Amino acid sequence: MALLELKNLTKRFGDVLAVSDFTLSVEQGEFVSLLGPSGCGKTTTLQMIAGFETPTSGAIILNGRNLEDVPARKRGLGIVFQSYALFPHMTVEQNVGFGLEMRGVAPAERAGRVRKVLELVHLDGLANRYPRAMSGGQRQRVAVARALVIEPDLLLLDEPLSNLDAKLREEMQLELRRIQQEAGVTTVLVTHDQSEAMALSDRIAVMQAGELMQVGSPFEIYERPRSSFVSTFLGKTNTLAARLEQVTPEGSLLVCNGVTLKGPPANFLPGPVEVSLRPERVELTDADNAVVSGTVSERVFLGNQWLSKVNTPIGELLMTRRNRGSDEPKPGDTVHLAWSAEHLSILAADRSRLT
Amino acid sequence: MRRNGLAALLFSTLFVVFMIAPLVVVIGVSFTSTGYLEFPPSEPGLRWFRAILTNPDFIDAALLSLELGVTSATIATVLAVPAALAIGREKFPGRDVLQSLFLSPLMVPTVVLGVGFLRFLTLISMNGTLIGLALCHAVVIFPFILRLSLAAIVGLDQSVEKAAVSLGASSLTVFRRITLPLIMPGVCGGWILAFITSFDELTVSIFIINPSTTTLPVKLFNHITQTTDPLVTSVSTAMILFTVCIMLFVNWLYGLDRLLIGEGSR
Ligand SMILES: Nc1ncnc2c1ncn2[C@@H]1O[C@H](COP(=O)(O)OP(=O)(O)O)[C@@H](O)[C@H]1O
Ligand SMILES: [Mg+2]
Repeated sequence: MALLELKNLTKRFGDVLAVSDFTLSVEQGEFVSLLGPSGCGKTTTLQMIAGFETPTSGAIILNGRNLEDVPARKRGLGIVFQSYALFPHMTVEQNVGFGLEMRGVAPAERAGRVRKVLELVHLDGLANRYPRAMSGGQRQRVAVARALVIEPDLLLLDEPLSNLDAKLREEMQLELRRIQQEAGVTTVLVTHDQSEAMALSDRIAVMQAGELMQVGSPFEIYERPRSSFVSTFLGKTNTLAARLEQVTPEGSLLVCNGVTLKGPPANFLPGPVEVSLRPERVELTDADNAVVSGTVSERVFLGNQWLSKVNTPIGELLMTRRNRGSDEPKPGDTVHLAWSAEHLSILAADRSRLT
Repeated sequence: MRRNGLAALLFSTLFVVFMIAPLVVVIGVSFTSTGYLEFPPSEPGLRWFRAILTNPDFIDAALLSLELGVTSATIATVLAVPAALAIGREKFPGRDVLQSLFLSPLMVPTVVLGVGFLRFLTLISMNGTLIGLALCHAVVIFPFILRLSLAAIVGLDQSVEKAAVSLGASSLTVFRRITLPLIMPGVCGGWILAFITSFDELTVSIFIINPSTTTLPVKLFNHITQTTDPLVTSVSTAMILFTVCIMLFVNWLYGLDRLLIGEGSR
């Protein structure tokens, strides 16, 4: 049985449908991210799990128990807020100990547990500091420690890293993953940052406009997006409008702007579709092996790789290539491009929801 | 920063002079040794400050004003903080109307308030009692505490309270351990501002005091209408000194500019 089950969860604010028929289960010990653009209903979903918003309809089931009549303070969840929400008038020790104090844990045991969790987040020695005398990264750790010390069944994180600068954010991603695994706590993270979701999660749930678009491991979602929204939201991609002409168990044939492309087997009926092709799957080849040929229009050096734009008969294609220290085609050069058929993802042309 | 023009500089200077000049004259005159108002004093001395000590009427009035200020500021605070919590936090119909109503004592001319209070106190036979006086003052100073408490509450990050709830705190515990300590600077600031306002409130008080509840400002006013000796200036100087001391204390505690701008929270 799953630890957390969200069943057809829906939330309306007046005319705004913030979350719509959202169904998801989270297994014990799993790290699941809700990923989507700003305003797609991630925070609302989290607030409903936490008990700060009441669902318009649907059910939240934790450990087999319906949370409908359980108030927020009795749910026993650990929550890390985007603003950290530390108690500014309390020391780190008092902040972290607050949840234990509310549970009536005796001072001696409390001190021991606070010390242990501060060690876990690498904040030992700062127990008597006030939050205002700490850096953003340290406050973040206090917030995580405060949520973890009550040994919650479920840890909820709302954009926990968005207030940190880029370098610290990367460090904290690794830290957060380590802490989550050491504590073994089931975690739901909300983020609009696809790289954060990919780095941290066992599974990602991609949301758009209140709806769940696709759930899967980061690799699955990246490699086999089921809609153009998912494929463009996770990393860069080339999206092409095409017509599916023929489907066989071995593969498919597509026509894009009059050019015939080979594709992977698809479970679609012939008709208009969208095709997604990752820029890193596009390779340079010679004229005989080319799928399409074109002219380089722009080229950007990114250090570890080159990003080029190529004008081809099927449209403008982005191509990334590892920087191997050798020269790359320049703007104006004619290049021949190829990729293998299985690297094309065939997507339904209209927005459809698949779970 | 842009340098101020000559006109602006002149304006500011005149403004400050008009504000300060009366204080300088009052304080100057209070140090005279003559029996009449004289500025600058020809023979400076503390004659009129000693006169205060031999005038028990003034000392009684001062003590009464002190008691009145503390009582009314406290009554108003106890009522204003819950009101500010409701207005600042909850959405309910008539919220804006309620807020305007609570702030209205600032808008109504104090003479009108005074007449109203007199009628009302007479009606409920509390005219001339200290508690009646304190209740009326509480109404007048209520807006000050409400505004500063409201600023503190609105400035408070609500997720801090949510965090406490998620850790298992009941509403009462959240208020006692989180909300109240965090809005305390604003509430205290409001209390002190309210106390000072009550301490030198004249217009409303004139209507509703009787000889046994004469406040210091009323006593001064009555004194001037009968005689013009420098005693009023020495009492005024003592009052100014007292107010300045409170202000310095508040400034040391919270920063005065923040208090007067109305940002109560740290
Ligand atoms: N308390 C509220 N009242 C009205 N609308 C709200 C409220 N909270 C969120 N919304 C709306 O619900 C939608 C989803 O918001 P939110 O869950 O905060 O999105 P996200 O966290 O993904 O950025 C938005 O359109 C937002 O404007
Ligand atoms: Mg959000």
